[in-house]
Amino acid sequence: MIRTEELLLNVGPQHPSTHGVFRIIVKLDGEVITEATPVIGYLHRGTEKLAENLTYTQVIPYTDRMDYVSAMTNNYVLCHAVETLMDLEIPERAEFLRLIVMELQRIASHLVWWGTYLLDIGAMSPFLYAFREREMIINMFNELCGARLTYFYMRVGGVKWDAPEGWIDKVRDFIPYMRDKLDEYEQLVSGNEIFLARVKGVGKYDAQTAIDYGLSGANLRSTGVKFDLRKNQPYSIYDRFEFDVPVQTEGDCYARYLVRFEEIKQSLRILEQAVEQFPEDGKIMAKVPRVIRPPEGEVYTRIESPRGEIGCHIVSKKKPQPYRLKFRRPSFVNLQILPKLLVGETMTNLVTILGGIDIVLGEVDG
Amino acid sequence: MSDQKHVTEMDPKEAKKEIEENEVVEIVEPSPNQAKLDRLVDLVKSNIAEDAVEEAYINELDRDLPSIVIRSPYWLKTAMMLKESETLKLNYLRNVSGIDYETYFEVVYYLLSMSTDNQQDICIKIKADREDPSIPSVTSVWNTANWNEREIYDLLGIQFPGHPNLKRIMMPEDWEGHPLRKDYEPIDPEV
Amino acid sequence: MKGIVKGMGVTLKNLTKKKITYQYPDVPLQMPDRFRGVQHFDPEKCIVCNQCMNICPTECIDLVGKKNPDPEKKGKVIDTYDINFEICILCDLCTEVCPTEAIVMTNNFELATYSRDDLFKNMEWLNDNNTNVRKENSINLQPKSIPSKAKKEVK
Ligand code: SF4
Ligand code: SF4
Repeated sequence: MIRTEELLLNVGPQHPSTHGVFRIIVKLDGEVITEATPVIGYLHRGTEKLAENLTYTQVIPYTDRMDYVSAMTNNYVLCHAVETLMDLEIPERAEFLRLIVMELQRIASHLVWWGTYLLDIGAMSPFLYAFREREMIINMFNELCGARLTYFYMRVGGVKWDAPEGWIDKVRDFIPYMRDKLDEYEQLVSGNEIFLARVKGVGKYDAQTAIDYGLSGANLRSTGVKFDLRKNQPYSIYDRFEFDVPVQTEGDCYARYLVRFEEIKQSLRILEQAVEQFPEDGKIMAKVPRVIRPPEGEVYTRIESPRGEIGCHIVSKKKPQPYRLKFRRPSFVNLQILPKLLVGETMTNLVTILGGIDIVLGEVDG
Repeated sequence: MSDQKHVTEMDPKEAKKEIEENEVVEIVEPSPNQAKLDRLVDLVKSNIAEDAVEEAYINELDRDLPSIVIRSPYWLKTAMMLKESETLKLNYLRNVSGIDYETYFEVVYYLLSMSTDNQQDICIKIKADREDPSIPSVTSVWNTANWNEREIYDLLGIQFPGHPNLKRIMMPEDWEGHPLRKDYEPIDPEV
Repeated sequence: MKGIVKGMGVTLKNLTKKKITYQYPDVPLQMPDRFRGVQHFDPEKCIVCNQCMNICPTECIDLVGKKNPDPEKKGKVIDTYDINFEICILCDLCTEVCPTEAIVMTNNFELATYSRDDLFKNMEWLNDNNTNVRKENSINLQPKSIPSKAKKEVK
């Protein structure tokens, strides 16, 4: 027998495969991890504290910077929470615009994940393909709201900009284009033997564990739990559209890959219907008082972000500023399971498993 | 006098019934979740203790969310019961927030059941003193609580006895004070 | 092995396609009209109402007004107006609230410098930054104060 010494290895905080500033201290026995301790907080900006001194409208740009890969859903969860508190009726056209941008955002976010994940496990070119398509979505957003990443598009009561001329047609054209590209992706990667060997059976957990750790999004659905907030607790106008909730039962990295891949297709399906039903005309902003003062009370809203359940808990004291604003950040909650998954795995699987959870560090650290 | 006024406000049919039954007229908010809340309160009261529930109400602003306030000594036992109970099976902890109300702290747990069809959120609140706040940890019940409780400890300074590793998570180890407290004064205002 | 070969086929097919990369900075990037770039400020239009300073979520606007030098006219005129682009997040709120369109967005975005101090932009600089000014400005979402012209655009 070869005797190996225990080795303490520090990964990060600056390491490309950690997708941000994330540090993890692993104890290694040869190649096998015996203990893993994640260290987070390097990107903590205190959004929740800052929000206490800002008005609701002023907080929205801060949410852009939480999950910067999926800013639209973050915008929405805050607006939705305030609107629930104030019992506001949102104009139809605004809801459609919101839904369209959120689904586009889901596709863009999953594309980033797809590209970077494969990059993590050694495939260089998929990243370029994914970013080519993502660029189209980003350009659409840029035309719509004037920013490529930090959109600040939604406001309490509606959206800031109406769709410019021809924008909806662009979205319409994007759907078949993207479908075509997804086939290409599948040919490129899904059958690749090296890829399959890297992800199949890696980072496995069962439904019980997933629920116990409060996982959400694809991390939960990869274990066979069919839970998608868009279906189970519908918000916005999702109940008007037909779509499936993809589930896999394996619970390994490959299952998560398949779930996210299928989710892109389902998002395209929703988009297709939304573009068809898009109202010809209408307001994009509800009647909102100049100073937004939600009634005294408490609300917790949650929506399905690309990474899972993002929630917003507001305690209002009838002031223009929130008394307490707390975000339930899916990456933060999902990341908790990492130390458990890593024990007994080899060092090479660390990036596979970490990438499979799909975290955004801006969101983990709040 | 005040009863009279209530009666006139109700629709005639119901008012008549009320008068016939000769009961004290009380306008009850017709919340669809009232029954659920009552069942929940009964369950806690019969299984844990009569005085475990401090308060129970429907949060109308939040889509009629059933909310109960549990007294902190009973919290761990209640948590176990809620998770194990056949009817509720609240096995999914979706969010934990800590709030500083200046005179006291409050920790809010949002629970959901993933194994039953009844997907109703439940909101549980625990209060803690302003001086030396402490709430039993429920990490042993739901693993989700682990980092969430650490975050609340870090930012609000609430102790969670029973937590396996209650350390700061967002702020550096040597940080002074708890930033989310309302009376927090940064040592170095420039940071 | 089959899957790898199939993937290679896709790569080969894409090899002959047109390049999709931008040639920036050799070829300048054209941003769409709504793009939120560095602001342009027009001192003549400013009525020193302080709304932009108050709405700014990062508190990066500093402005000082002075009495109108022309004794016939009432009101104030702007004296100094600085934006700190170290912390400005180009969120659009200041241009949204400005009643006179004194501060508007442009499509310029190139701000990179060698020193942080250069990111403090004063009134002259902001006034000179007058190219590519955004056409659709001051779409104010607060219903009470939508100017009638902008209202049409919103619809
Ligand atoms: S764009 Fe936003 S951050 Fe920048 S000066 Fe205007 S209000 Fe302030
Ligand atoms: S909002 Fe416009 S008019 Fe008022 S102070 Fe600012 S720039 Fe001047």
